[in-house]
Amino acid sequence: MEVLFLDAPFSGTVELSKDTLAYLKKKKYKTVALYASVQFVNNLDQVRKQLAENNINVITSHADRTQVKGQLLGCDNYHNSLNLSKDDSNAVDCYLYVGDGKFHPLALVYAQKDMQEMKEIVCNDPLIKKMSLMGVQDIKKILLKYRSSLMRFLTAKTIGVIVTIKPGQEQFRPSLMLEKRYANKKFYYFIDNVVSFDQLENFNFIDVWVNTTCPRVGFDDQEKFTKGVINLNDALMAEDILGRDSVLTRL
Amino acid sequence: MRLYNPEVEKAIAKIKDSKAKTICVQLPDGMKPYAKEISDQIEEETGARVLIWLGSNFGACDIPLGLNRMGVDLLISWGHNKFHKKVGW
Repeated sequence: MEVLFLDAPFSGTVELSKDTLAYLKKKKYKTVALYASVQFVNNLDQVRKQLAENNINVITSHADRTQVKGQLLGCDNYHNSLNLSKDDSNAVDCYLYVGDGKFHPLALVYAQKDMQEMKEIVCNDPLIKKMSLMGVQDIKKILLKYRSSLMRFLTAKTIGVIVTIKPGQEQFRPSLMLEKRYANKKFYYFIDNVVSFDQLENFNFIDVWVNTTCPRVGFDDQEKFTKGVINLNDALMAEDILGRDSVLTRL
Repeated sequence: MRLYNPEVEKAIAKIKDSKAKTICVQLPDGMKPYAKEISDQIEEETGARVLIWLGSNFGACDIPLGLNRMGVDLLISWGHNKFHKKVGW
């Protein structure tokens, strides 16, 4: 079976709104990291022109799972998946997201959870021609629970590993690394298509869950896991993450 | 004016080119109201049978399973582009 993807590009004008430009100037931002969702990423010429006219440098990158440079996916929620160099990352004053909704720009907030400082995300929505800001305050409640899930994982003996059968998300083989890393824990593997949150409570012998499906499940759906959930890559380096001086540990 | 251009003409060109007879249309939640227009246009211009995916479409990582068993020749997924899976994230 063949698969055809169609971007469904935004039909309107993609440009920075007056309040976005005014905010960037007010904050004296000189360098922004520019990202956009697929509906907007191929139509950023006017945005780039506006930034150049205001003497604002643009940095961007080709994130791991994306097709186009500057494109942002919701699963780019770990900083290394953006492929932004350390120098570029340091040079950036803020992230500038062009698109609608909160799902995509929230990835840029999550992506900074293990950094020492969080740089704000300026969201420019071409649909409503308005700007909004995102930062750690938007995910503080989730991160507090996530941190406690990480701590619970370290002491837990019985772990439920959730694996999806979706080919694009399935990470069963990589999840087996947990057994090597934590020989004193017992891992049970649960297979599903879309995660059946209403089934979790039936497996009451599980101390804590490890998510290997979409990495956003481990964050956005944290509240649906009464025993807590952490993402696979964080599980593999839980002690390191909790031992760092970071946004997450300073909450 | 529609907020997003579904570019149905590209879908129709692909269907005609591939001579697909059974099509699955997959849309993200925000575009699901477009399903009628897309389905009607495809059926009218190509004569192909259209099956509309009812379930999730979280991204290009979220392709429906089991379509081969239904005899689907071509899946057209709107709102996303090619996904490059990263093993182990």
